Amino acid sequence: MDTEQQSKQMQAGSEFEREPVPKSARLGFKSFIGMYAGEHCAGTELMIGPLFVAAGVSAYDLIMGLLLGNALAVLSWMFLCAPIATRSRLTLYCHLEKICGRKLVTLYNLANGVMFCFLAGAMVTVSATAVGVWFKFPMPGLNDLYPNSVGWVAAVAVVGGLIAIVAAYGYQTVARFANIAAPWMVLVFLAFGFVGLRQFIDATGFDVASLGDAWQLAKTHIWKGGAPQEGQVKFTFWHITFFAWFCNMAMHVGMSDLSVFRFAKKSWYGVASSTGMYVGHFMAWISASILYAYQLHLDPADTDVLPGPLAYRAAGLAGLLCVIIAGWTTANPTIYRAGLAFQAISPKSSRFKVTLLTGAIATLAGMFPAIAMKLLGFVALYGLILMPMGAVIFVDFWLIRKFGLASSYAELSGKTFNWAAGLAWFVTLATAWVLVKFAGVQIFFVSLPGWFVAAFLYIVLSKFYQNKVRPSTAA
Amino acid sequence: MRPILQITSLVALIALTLPSVIFLAGRLELNTVKWIMLLATIVWFVVATGWMWKDNGAEKS
Repeated sequence: MDTEQQSKQMQAGSEFEREPVPKSARLGFKSFIGMYAGEHCAGTELMIGPLFVAAGVSAYDLIMGLLLGNALAVLSWMFLCAPIATRSRLTLYCHLEKICGRKLVTLYNLANGVMFCFLAGAMVTVSATAVGVWFKFPMPGLNDLYPNSVGWVAAVAVVGGLIAIVAAYGYQTVARFANIAAPWMVLVFLAFGFVGLRQFIDATGFDVASLGDAWQLAKTHIWKGGAPQEGQVKFTFWHITFFAWFCNMAMHVGMSDLSVFRFAKKSWYGVASSTGMYVGHFMAWISASILYAYQLHLDPADTDVLPGPLAYRAAGLAGLLCVIIAGWTTANPTIYRAGLAFQAISPKSSRFKVTLLTGAIATLAGMFPAIAMKLLGFVALYGLILMPMGAVIFVDFWLIRKFGLASSYAELSGKTFNWAAGLAWFVTLATAWVLVKFAGVQIFFVSLPGWFVAAFLYIVLSKFYQNKVRPSTAA
Repeated sequence: MRPILQITSLVALIALTLPSVIFLAGRLELNTVKWIMLLATIVWFVVATGWMWKDNGAEKS
């Protein structure tokens, strides 16, 4: 079975759901390279790159920030997620259930499912912008929060509806199609960058004969820095670094990819995530940002971030197809996973109906451009919400016994809601909210201190909780 | 048959990327780039589906 497909199945929980992955089912390094390269070159990259430009990022801050942030993300996969995955060989949900208990995991599933829905909504939004190129209805602007035309609502409804139906009927078929599309998509993204660069050279009359000249062009015309567009947060080197590091926080620090790396033969296979980071979150973001910078260069008043028209201008119909397919193939597993998260709450409900309903919610969310236009903040929020449980898993696996406490406490005590883990989660989120709301800390930066808060709280609260609720076997 | 399909797929991917590189070098019109990319896209999906889809299905069963 193809690795990407298999890993998606794994994440969907259809294999070895309640047991450690056996030796015979473990996968080699090559399998993870392809999976990560494909999965992180998605429709949303076409929003994120331009939003960096709208945030007034400079060339040095962008390039160096992405290099460092992506390296930190890879290290997080390598040293936080993969070592636990290859030792426990359990899915995230199974692992969490042992620590947190069934009811708290249900709550986690709900949070995860809702965030997946909104993320899928942003992907539907991206695909729908391609429809606008054909049908020429008014599309949302950079600061639009609500749908702004009937045509837009209809386009999102059709695109989202189709994605939802396909996800419900034929998830595996789209997953197979996604495998085929992945190498093509990566190269179309690369072509976006080359075409955009040439367009800049022609439009500015800049003479580029060396790498130094190209850097000069980048600094003075493409990523000029300065003030952000109206309504956007100014991005510096640190913003880019933390964004690149934490945009997949739910997966590495948040441990969602335990479900993937439990199939890895060795924990160092975590380094395979670098293909996703440096293809999708470096090359693709840079390429997409060049297209938007060129649009601003032509007309500074045209601040709309619309992947469809951007891609069409650079690569014609192939570009437009890339936008549709990138949005579709990534929204498909996202809707499916959200459906599975919801289904875990109500296991008796039909997977088909739950996926359809989830797709309908994602479609509704996709009609509101706020999510896509504020994607940088939303992605940071997504990571933040799920991160504390990653800290809980890390502490429970490596540290808790050193404090004389029991790990996998819910399993040991038979409790369905481990209050120590639950409170560590809620109080960390409340602390982050206070920091953002009242201390002026931007959402991109709260997750790092938040991780330590969650880890500390889990240990302290477990000290009280485990004394109070003694498991019969440990007493 | 399979090696032929694989080589054709590879050629399609090269044809997808190369025009943009030549355009960057200032030696090709953008319209031509767009047409070649579209053609390469069609070839890629037709040919790659021929062997990659089958692969997935066979390994799955």
